[in-house]
Amino acid sequence: MTIEERLVSVDAETLPLLGELGELLELGVFTLDRDFVVRGWNGWLANASGLDAAALIGKSLFEHYPELRETRAAEALQRALAGATTVWAHRFHRFFLPLAAPQGYESFDRMQQSARIMPLMRDDVVEGVLVILQDVTERVAREEELNTALRRAEVGSQAKSDFLASMSHELRTPLSAIVGYMDLLEGEMVGAVAPLQRTYLGRVKSAAHHLISVIEEILSFSRVEAGKELIYLEAVEVAAIAREVEELFEPQALRKNIALRVSLPEGPLTIWTDATKLRQILINLVGNAMKFTDAGEVAMDVRVSDDRVYFRIRDTGPGIKESDLARIFDPFTQIDQSLKRTKGGTGLGLPVSLRLAHLLSGDLLVDSVASKGTTFTLWIPLDARPRPQ
Amino acid sequence: MTREEVDHDALTELFNIGLHRAAASLSDLTGQRIIVDLPRLWVCPIEETHAALIDLMEGDLATVHQIFRGSVTGDAVLVLDYEAAARLARLMTDDSVATQGRIDQSAREVLTEVGNVILSSCLSAFGDMLQVAVTFSVPRMRLESLEGMLRSLKVDDAELHHVLLAATRFRLTEGEVGGYLLIAVGMPSLSLITKALAARENA
Repeated sequence: MTIEERLVSVDAETLPLLGELGELLELGVFTLDRDFVVRGWNGWLANASGLDAAALIGKSLFEHYPELRETRAAEALQRALAGATTVWAHRFHRFFLPLAAPQGYESFDRMQQSARIMPLMRDDVVEGVLVILQDVTERVAREEELNTALRRAEVGSQAKSDFLASMSHELRTPLSAIVGYMDLLEGEMVGAVAPLQRTYLGRVKSAAHHLISVIEEILSFSRVEAGKELIYLEAVEVAAIAREVEELFEPQALRKNIALRVSLPEGPLTIWTDATKLRQILINLVGNAMKFTDAGEVAMDVRVSDDRVYFRIRDTGPGIKESDLARIFDPFTQIDQSLKRTKGGTGLGLPVSLRLAHLLSGDLLVDSVASKGTTFTLWIPLDARPRPQ
Repeated sequence: MTREEVDHDALTELFNIGLHRAAASLSDLTGQRIIVDLPRLWVCPIEETHAALIDLMEGDLATVHQIFRGSVTGDAVLVLDYEAAARLARLMTDDSVATQGRIDQSAREVLTEVGNVILSSCLSAFGDMLQVAVTFSVPRMRLESLEGMLRSLKVDDAELHHVLLAATRFRLTEGEVGGYLLIAVGMPSLSLITKALAARENA
């Protein structure tokens, strides 16, 4: 016979022992006869309830706890008389007996309990009910604290994203004005510009453009994090987007004297996705590859397999150590801090790209060998439109 | 008596009665509409259960065992894979951020009570059909392997042990979770169930 079975067929001699064992384990144990008259009430319960066993034994449980009548507790006791065992999880019931909350946990109106309500068998006949109670107030308080802390952290994270979004927007507006007035000055709309002044104006403009691109990255990241990024699905010609990205980085490739190669599948390829977001991911990935590659090549291969399109962006840059690979999609992370100083950037390009890939129902994977180069593989579905039901 | 002789339709109906009662109790308990249905039912010898379940369950299992005694005796088990159990506990309680994805003490209690409701409802349906009282042991929740679960089955009334294996699906407002209900019985209990089912059909 298992311990579970023994519990429901405890004999009269063993019952007091069970009560004492319950006391040792800080469990409330009480027994009732078929008329719900109390037959056993252990010391732990006497302490918790303030009711001595001598005062209770021989009297109906409902006499002391009239609020239990016609409740789920009374139903569970009835079911035990029919031979059924009932388990009460705190999450559903909070408590079985209305006992005072333990000291230090007065914020609870009652002691929080889990319970087992079992038939008490003798010679295959149900002769009463055995109830075992466990005080779970401390655990519940701990769980509630943890839940509150987690919720606060979530709210805090949302507030941070909202702050970044509004701050980025506020910064971008005056910067656009600065660039606009620079254009006016450079175009000699308000008078002649001396050669040295033109050089300085160029530097101010370049710095302003860099600042705008950094703010764009922060804005994009905070929009995705705040769940405000929406998807606009349209028919997209893959070759057109790939060529656009290639053209954008051609001058940089020429300047750095590295090869920029794009290979596409044969024939036209039209997919249903968000063109702006796909373009942004590819610009981030190719831009990243260009930034970290000083010799060799950056290649983008596009291929179709099953119902997905894969964009593989490979470079011959310094590569990423295996131990660092897990961190590259964390926001504000640049693996080599010295590179951050020499190459610039916010460390948001990859996290934004990963989140955008997920928004497009795809994924972004990385494969890298230190000192050999890095390959990022973006896949997205050929058709991201929801399927008809 | 062979498993081919068991009337699957009548047995499915019996399980459906039990699961319908369980769903009503769980809906009442949680305050949300819960449907528990039975997509598939098998009867197989206990030694074939491993092969029947091995492709369906992955990794650790969360099980709730309840031994029953009476004219029919055996071991009833609610079997969920770990992720499904964690998800079910979260869906049932509707709010826990902390228990997301893992089975903590509170989730164990919730699953024990859910298992208790399901198993008791189904075993009561068997008891009602046979018009006998069936008593149940205290339910015990375990995290165990499939092999461990099968080893721990308690059937002591016959040499030939059979398993009534039912795929179940819990459908809640926020999602669905699949699991299995396994009732291991000895040959005398299976004969009794089969005869009672046949008598019920003929009545």
